[in-house]
Amino acid sequence: MLLEAQSIVKSFGGFRAVDGTNLTLHEHELIGLIGPNGAGKSTFFNCLAGDALPDAGSIHFRGREITRMPPHDRARLGLARTFQVPIVFDGMTVRENVMVGAFLRRPHRHAAAAKADEVLAFTGLAEQANQQVTTLGTPGRKRLEIARALATEPVVLLLDEALAGLTAEEIETAIELVRRIHASGITLIVVEHIMEVIHRLTQRVIVLHQGRALAEGAPAEVTRDPRVIEAYLGRRAGRHRP
Amino acid sequence: MKSLPRVLLVAVAGVLVAAPFLSDNPFYQRIAALTALAAISASAWNLIGGYGGQVSFGHSVYFGLGAYSSLLAFTKLGVPPIAGAPLGVLASFVLSVIVGLPSFRLRGHYFSMATIAIAALAEVLVTNWAFAGGAIGLMGPANARSLADLLFRSALPYYALFLVVLGSLLALTYLMQRGRMGFYLRALGSGERAAESLGVPIRRYKLYALLISGAFTSLAGSLYVVMIGFIDPNSGFGILVSVNMVVMSALGGAGTLFGPLVGAVILVPLEEMTNALLGGGGSGAAYVVYGAAIMLLARFSPGGLAQWWSLLAGKGRRGAA
Repeated sequence: MLLEAQSIVKSFGGFRAVDGTNLTLHEHELIGLIGPNGAGKSTFFNCLAGDALPDAGSIHFRGREITRMPPHDRARLGLARTFQVPIVFDGMTVRENVMVGAFLRRPHRHAAAAKADEVLAFTGLAEQANQQVTTLGTPGRKRLEIARALATEPVVLLLDEALAGLTAEEIETAIELVRRIHASGITLIVVEHIMEVIHRLTQRVIVLHQGRALAEGAPAEVTRDPRVIEAYLGRRAGRHRP
Repeated sequence: MKSLPRVLLVAVAGVLVAAPFLSDNPFYQRIAALTALAAISASAWNLIGGYGGQVSFGHSVYFGLGAYSSLLAFTKLGVPPIAGAPLGVLASFVLSVIVGLPSFRLRGHYFSMATIAIAALAEVLVTNWAFAGGAIGLMGPANARSLADLLFRSALPYYALFLVVLGSLLALTYLMQRGRMGFYLRALGSGERAAESLGVPIRRYKLYALLISGAFTSLAGSLYVVMIGFIDPNSGFGILVSVNMVVMSALGGAGTLFGPLVGAVILVPLEEMTNALLGGGGSGAAYVVYGAAIMLLARFSPGGLAQWWSLLAGKGRRGAA
């Protein structure tokens, strides 16, 4: 077991955004984390990444408890993430942005630059390497976030809606990139809204609803689950009433 | 950062070294020395405020610490003022830890607010502290007892001394900028959460930057009293001392290697000359210019002059400020 979250609870005031969610992630998996708006996906994701500290429950990563570990130590252990809204480092070039990630395992400038170039080639950003990061549009920024995270040489990569806001064409290249990342031996958790993406990409999905795992299994099974349909589409009047 | 071309840098360096020899007028030589000194403290501020994006409005507290350490060492221990500089640097380390540890735990503007409060507090405390001269301040040696007192009639020896310190600081900044620390500081200055997620221990790097920045600012304070031979609470800890560092960095380009130097080269002569032209009654005129500079920068060029340069050079570089 690579990553395991047990009974995670996170409240904001009286609202339990995450209410006892569990997750297990095995090596070389590519799993999806889905759910309607407000289901607690982002909060749960932030607990895994260390951006939010859970009120209860525990998280273990590679045999170590990381429940309250700060994000930079999680990165060192091999847990990387992207942000839903890309946060780029203004005033730096694309390559320099990626070098920030590469410096984690390569303290020397030239080694970090070499790693950055390798990752930029892998993610298809090599041509933009010397551009100021502010010249990148949304697809480029999302790609850059992935490149930066890859430069830290992670074991597990958490993607927070890395494909949201992209055109159909951009989604195809992004899916292809995620597949190549997975093929390179990195384990992934993908938070996503777009069902089609989840279907095509993941082996197993966890559906969150009202802060709890509502269903778990292969994407095709899960999306047929009446409880999941209900969570997404609401209950039809007069039917499925318990 | 390649925001300024090498040719221009060599030209600037050449002008800096040659400047005081171009004129044997002591007034201009004094301006040259004061410019170099201001460039030291502004460049020191730039480490944490420019590269790290943690804007300190109270860096005068380090400047005053260095100045008072030097003159207390002279008045109480009888040693040359420059011998007090290491004491000031040590005290600056302690202060950086006291200010940095709690305020860097929090996100947002807590550090900026803490620095303002500490500087204001220091000014009041020293004003009421008879041991340190109270409101009257402290005087340096009137006559040189030995060369170590560094008392010279001409400003040129001071200028040379300041240039050496400035050169060392800029060399250190250059190395830092190229290496991991420079990348980490710029990253955490523009996106803390993202930097943290990439393994940057942000609190530790902010503290590193503050330690170096505070130490050099303290050294600048010591060098100031070595040349001027006098310090009082306002010229050591006053808000204008801090504002000078911020405005010079912002004007030239915060977060760039030579930005603070460029800012000092523009603003110090301006201030000294308006003071000389307008006399005692007009000694505040420079601050009118400072205020105007702040407004114009904020409106038209948040990246300082470095931003203009990059626009001219067609690099489209956004300023780091």
